[in-house]
Amino acid sequence: MIKKLQNLKLTPGLILRLLVGLVVLIYLGWRIYQIAFGEGTYGPDTWMRFLITGLVIGGMYALIAIGYTLVYGILFMINFAHGEVVMLGTFAGYFMLEAFASIPAPTPADPDLTFLNAQPVIALVLTFLAGAGVSALLGYLLEKIAYRPLRGAPRLIPLISAIGASIFLQNAAQLLFGPQRRQYQNPDLLWRGTGWMIPVGGKEVMLTYTGAFSFILSILLMVGLFILVKKTKLGKSMRAVAENKQAAALMGIDVDSVISKTFIISGVLAGAAGVMWGIHNGLFNHFVGFIPGIKAFTAAVLGGIGNIPGAMMGGMLLGLLESLGPALLGLDFQLKDVIAFTILILVLIFRPSGLLGEALTEEKL
Amino acid sequence: MMTSLKKGLRSGIVFGIVFIFLMLIGFINVGSNMIGDLLGNMENLGEEARLPVSNLLIFSGLFGLFTGINARKDEGDGKWWSGILGGLAGGLASGWLVWLAVWGSGSLYMQGVDFRTYLPNLGPERMRYLLFYSTPEAAANTYLTYFILFSLAGSVLAWAVSAVHGLKRGLTRAKESVTQWLDTKTVRQIFDNKWVLAVVMITVAALLYFLPLAWGSYWNYIMGTVAIYILLGLGLNIIVGYSGQLVLGYVAFFATGAYTFALLTSPAPHGIELNLVLAVGLSVLVSTLTGLLLGLPILNLRGDYLAIVTLGFGEIIRILIRSDLLTPLTNGPKGVTNVGQPNWFGQVFSDVNYMHLLMLLVLAGLFVAKRLKDSRTGRAWIAIREDQTVAQATGINTYGYKILALLLGAAFAGLGGALFASRNQFTGPEDFTLMVSVNVLCIVIVGGMGSLPGVVVGAFVLKGLPELLRELADYRLLAFGALLVLMMIIRPEGLWPAKRTRFRRLNRDPYENGAAEVEV
Repeated sequence: MIKKLQNLKLTPGLILRLLVGLVVLIYLGWRIYQIAFGEGTYGPDTWMRFLITGLVIGGMYALIAIGYTLVYGILFMINFAHGEVVMLGTFAGYFMLEAFASIPAPTPADPDLTFLNAQPVIALVLTFLAGAGVSALLGYLLEKIAYRPLRGAPRLIPLISAIGASIFLQNAAQLLFGPQRRQYQNPDLLWRGTGWMIPVGGKEVMLTYTGAFSFILSILLMVGLFILVKKTKLGKSMRAVAENKQAAALMGIDVDSVISKTFIISGVLAGAAGVMWGIHNGLFNHFVGFIPGIKAFTAAVLGGIGNIPGAMMGGMLLGLLESLGPALLGLDFQLKDVIAFTILILVLIFRPSGLLGEALTEEKL
Repeated sequence: MMTSLKKGLRSGIVFGIVFIFLMLIGFINVGSNMIGDLLGNMENLGEEARLPVSNLLIFSGLFGLFTGINARKDEGDGKWWSGILGGLAGGLASGWLVWLAVWGSGSLYMQGVDFRTYLPNLGPERMRYLLFYSTPEAAANTYLTYFILFSLAGSVLAWAVSAVHGLKRGLTRAKESVTQWLDTKTVRQIFDNKWVLAVVMITVAALLYFLPLAWGSYWNYIMGTVAIYILLGLGLNIIVGYSGQLVLGYVAFFATGAYTFALLTSPAPHGIELNLVLAVGLSVLVSTLTGLLLGLPILNLRGDYLAIVTLGFGEIIRILIRSDLLTPLTNGPKGVTNVGQPNWFGQVFSDVNYMHLLMLLVLAGLFVAKRLKDSRTGRAWIAIREDQTVAQATGINTYGYKILALLLGAAFAGLGGALFASRNQFTGPEDFTLMVSVNVLCIVIVGGMGSLPGVVVGAFVLKGLPELLRELADYRLLAFGALLVLMMIIRPEGLWPAKRTRFRRLNRDPYENGAAEVEV
């Protein structure tokens, strides 16, 4: 450690980094002191509310971030269009719910009862399947059309292709479905704005049903993915391809098919996250995937890109930072997005390998 | 035979899906109307105000033709009938897909379903036109027949072109001989002659001087936008094209330039109303400083990381400009109005003067970029772009040169921003969305990374053409996205790729002195 410090050369870049770090640390310390000992602008109930929001959003970020990390781990490219995969999943879920809301119940005891409210569990399962299916198909096609012909090209080329695909999909959705915001039709079981009341510090904080549902579902999906990657044959071949494509091919692994399956898996998670987003937040339009996509990428970088537990942790952390951050730093809530991007810049400056990631080799970075 | 059948089927399915997609976004109607405009049959529509169906038939026919040609693509010397078979398969596949879509949607429409709740671009008027103002069955059958017939025609056409011996080869040979002729000594001497050069220069200068006078304010507006984007493209070309750093937040420098200029010259929020030349200088300076601020910590990141970080930076700048925090400084979402106008001895600039100014600046920018490229600095950038490790090993300060590229690129953006704000007399946060960065990046890439004529061509294609094709304005970004993907797959080097300067080997010609630059 000391030897490392002795070998350290004080380049202008390093001095700047140290200065930035020092300023951030001093400001954070001062704010925490102020919040803890000064007269609080926010009571404990508000903090609890921020915490819940952060965890729910964080779960969705984590699901999207896993998609980035899986693809990056295998192809070393940022799947820039991943946010659009999420967006089309949201649309698919919306149309499914609209359809269920317009079909009457199978045994109509009440003529106003729709299939959506008569069989909410089946309807929700089918909705999630539709969202995940559409996103998985899109991820597969995306890889096949926009990325596969560019295998082996310089790094910039697939990235530009991905940016093109992102613009194309966003505008295709706008032209197909219109630019206006649409609202999800939730079943009464998961009506937005209803939930359990939790007493915190003399006041009550609502834990919405949709929030709890999204959080639990995202945890379940992450556990499922973890098992898939660690325990199954497909997961083993995915890890092998990520480690070394040539060697994997020599071991008899069909690299192209593993890559396709990786895109399908990340599409499934993205689609589920998209439907969750719709069910939890209600309003959406064709921009719904873009900003969450970039933030989820931030989360993936934060946790260490290419590292699956890192992406999960990074997503949760980013969700929390985003909802607690403005209050913690004493900033306006308009600047929520600035926080996420600033974190991205800071992480890349101070620790490009992320919190959990190993130092990436030159080739992968 | 099986391969051509498979190829035909694949081509048919792809084209069928594309046709249905275009139908759902309303492009088929718009495209048919454009064909009508070309043919001039859109006037005198008669009392029923029905659009002529022939345009739609031409559109579908062209689609079928492409299906057939594509089905036979890369077919070497297969039997003539195998290609025809492919064309038939393609026509059948796409025809049936379209048949299903038209019949299904048409029947629903006839039952009184309004698609606009979910598909706003498929209104009843458009639907009636797509059904040829007749029944769904008849319309679907018409499409099917057209697709099959024209796909067959396309495959026959493709076969004929490849079969008529020497047609294709003749074309390539003609092209080769023209390039060879342009390269011969006599032609070179003509173009190197200073009198010829002077005449050419004077003609170009006269054209550039008189064109803005001749073509009116609408064209001046469009060409002014193109000129500003050429300047932006030149700047980003230094960063992306020369030094190979993918920056996706170029709009940040554009925005700082525009806002610095606007705030320094507008009477509204601060009332500084500085001298314009000074204000332009300051905007360039502030943009450059922003570049330095961003570049110092992040430029040792590579490739995709750099892209995302700069993208984030661009968004931060936009969010900050419109936030309550900076509203006292920037006037928030309302933007800055009454931005300073240049004047010439007390006379405020007209659109013609502006155009002249922009042309001069573009020429100056091209000159600067060209000289930079040929300088030691430019060669260092290109070395970094090609292989950073090797560049470092040959003693190039990669970090320093990368920052220099970013600074110069940011300076161009600052100048462009100041001109943009001044010409529009307004600047607001919504002028500086991510799409600006993407547009400029498209200009650089579509034109050809590192190529100066490429930037000019790219700016005309991406900013000039869409302004001319107003009907297609809605579909512009869609086409951009598709174009980026296609360019990367088919022609990653761009429309007008940069020529690579190589050096002839020293001892190749003993009578020649030193190394001569040759363009390869």
